[in-house]
Amino acid sequence: MALLVKYSKFGSCIKHLFQMSPQFAAKYSVYPPHFGEPIYKKQELDKLLETGGIENFKLIPFKAAKSNETCSIFHDPVVSKFINYMLIKGQKKLARQVLEKTFEQIKKIQLAKYNKETDPEKKSSIIVDPVVILKKAITNCKPLLKLTPVKRGGSYYQVPVPITDKESTFYAMRWFVHCGREKDKSVSFADFMANEFIQASNNNGRVVKKKLDLHKQCESNRAYAHYRWS
Amino acid sequence: MMSITRLFASLVTKKLNILKLTSNYVPRCTYGLNNVGSNDPGIEIEEKKIVEEKTSLAMRAYLQRATLYNNFMEQQTHEFQVGKRHLANMMGVDPETFTQKDINEAIEYLFPSGLYDPKARPFMKPPSEVFPPKKDAEFDESGRPFHVFFYTGKPNFYLILHNIATKLSELNKFEDSLRKNNILPDDNKKLSSIGSQWLSKEDVEKLTVEKLSDYEYKHFTIAIERLLKHPCSYKYVEFIAQYQKPMITTKAIMESSPVEYTKDGKAYVTVKDCPRKSARADVTVFYPGTGKLSINGKGIEFFDDIQAREQILFPLLFTDMVEKVDIEATVRGGGISGKAGAIRFGISWSLRSFVEPETVERMRIAGLLQKDYRRRERKKPGQARARRKFTWKKR
Repeated sequence: MALLVKYSKFGSCIKHLFQMSPQFAAKYSVYPPHFGEPIYKKQELDKLLETGGIENFKLIPFKAAKSNETCSIFHDPVVSKFINYMLIKGQKKLARQVLEKTFEQIKKIQLAKYNKETDPEKKSSIIVDPVVILKKAITNCKPLLKLTPVKRGGSYYQVPVPITDKESTFYAMRWFVHCGREKDKSVSFADFMANEFIQASNNNGRVVKKKLDLHKQCESNRAYAHYRWS
Repeated sequence: MMSITRLFASLVTKKLNILKLTSNYVPRCTYGLNNVGSNDPGIEIEEKKIVEEKTSLAMRAYLQRATLYNNFMEQQTHEFQVGKRHLANMMGVDPETFTQKDINEAIEYLFPSGLYDPKARPFMKPPSEVFPPKKDAEFDESGRPFHVFFYTGKPNFYLILHNIATKLSELNKFEDSLRKNNILPDDNKKLSSIGSQWLSKEDVEKLTVEKLSDYEYKHFTIAIERLLKHPCSYKYVEFIAQYQKPMITTKAIMESSPVEYTKDGKAYVTVKDCPRKSARADVTVFYPGTGKLSINGKGIEFFDDIQAREQILFPLLFTDMVEKVDIEATVRGGGISGKAGAIRFGISWSLRSFVEPETVERMRIAGLLQKDYRRRERKKPGQARARRKFTWKKR
C-alpha cells in the first residue's frame, strides 16, 4: 500500500490504483487485469499533472473510454449512472430524453420560485441548476443501513447491517426510479419526478420517507444486530 | 539441474555400480570394543553377509517413465527432422538453412486456415516446445526425496513462498532493530510496482515446472506484493525483481501516423478500418481547417442520438481542435453507437499527428487511443441469455 499512502490526497487516484490490482479485476473483462480505468475529465487530468501523479501512469495501458463517457461539460457521471438505472430494455435514448425533460421541468419550477422571491438572502439560497438538485436529492436519500435476512434457528431475521457508499447510492437512485414508476398514469414522468427531486433536495417527499422508514425498521430490529457475527 | 537424458544414463550406470560395489565388498576383521589399546585380538566378530541393495519402487517407476518419455521424445524429434527436410524440399529450399520462421511460413502457405483461434491452426514446432518438459527424479535410489518440500506436492512453488515468508520475517526483524535505534526506514528507498508487473501464472508455472491453480497463484501474488510493500523491501530488490517483468511499452500508441499533403498544401491523415463492435470507419482529418464535418456525405445530423454526437466531439473537445480541423468519414456496418465509436477512434488516432506529444499522452490516459475490444457476449446453452438463467424449479 506504499502507493496508496503516497497519493492518498486524491480519491480518484486511489480508485484507479485499486482497479489496476489483479485481485480486483473483473472476472469477464476482455482487458488484461493491469489495464487502468481511463481518466476522461480534463480537470482531473490537470490536477494529476500539477501534482506529478501523471508520471505514474506512463507505463500503464488504459482501457478505452466507454461510449457514454466524454469530457464535455454537459456530462456528469452521476447523471449517466442515473440514466442507466432508469432505462428499460436498453432504451437509453428515451431514458435520456425523459431525464432531460425532467431537468427542464426542474429548471422551470426553480426559476419561477427564483423570480417570485424578493428577499435577496432567500433568493441566493434557491438552487436553479437541476444537476445540483439531483445530486443533493440523491445524497439526502442515501440510507445508512440496510436489512438482510439471516437464518437462525430455522427462521429468518431481518438484520440491520452497514452498507458501503456505492451501495447506498444505488439504493437511493433505485428508490427514485421505483417512485417514478409507481406514479399515476395521468401525470407525466417529467413533472412527477421534477417535484420529487425538488422535495427530496429539501429533505422531504416520498423517497426520503422511504429512507426514514428503513432506518426506523433497522432501529426496531437492532436486537438482531448481533446475528451478523454470531 | 541435470537433464533427463543425462540423469537417466547416469542412473543406469549407477545401478550397475551399486551391484558391483556390494559384490566387491571385501570383508574385514572387525574388533570389539573390549580390547581397545591392547594387543589381544579379542573375540572376532562374525562378518555380516551384505544383502544386495535394490533400487526403490519409486525409482524404478520413475526410470520406466523416463525411458518411455525419452523414447517418445527421440521419436518425435526424429519425425520433426524428417518432416522439416520434406517441407524444405517441397518449398524448394536447402534443408540445411531451413529455419523455424521458414517452417511457419511454409505451413501457413500449404495449409491455409480460416480458424479464428491461433491455437486451432496447423503448426509445426520442435517437440521440445510442443510437449511440456518433465521433472528430473526428485528422489534418490532408496526413494528418499531430495527436496525439503517434496511432500507438499509442489516443492518448487512452495519453496518460493517459503523464501518470501522468511524474507518478510527478516525484514520485520531488521525494521525492529532500526526502530530500536530510533531510525525510521528510508522513505526514498521504498520500492514501487510502477512500470512493472508480476510474472503471470504461466510464467510461474514455467519457472517451477509445476501446474498451479488460480488460488495458488493468487497466494503467490499476495505474498510477493506484501514483501514489496514492506518499508525495508529495498534490501531484497534482486529477489523481488526475479518475479517482476516490465510492462509493455506504449510506444506504438505514441508514434503518430505519417502526414500526407493535398495539392493545395493542406496536411491530412487517413486512418482506414477503425473498428468498434461490427462497425468500420475510414476517417480523414485535414489539419488547418474550419471545423467542417462530413459523415457519409452528411454533417453531424447523420446521428440522431445526442450521445453519438457527443462521442464524435469527444476527441476534438479534449484536444481543443473543434474548429481547427476538417473531418471526412465513411462508416459501414454496426449500429449507432458502434458507428460513432469507430469514427471517434479514427479521429483521435489521426489527431496524434497534429497535437503535441504531451496531449497524445493525455489522450492515451483518457482512453481515446485504445481500441475497444469488447464484443457482444454470446448466449450460452442451458441459459436464457448470456448471463440470465432459466427459472429454477425444484421439480
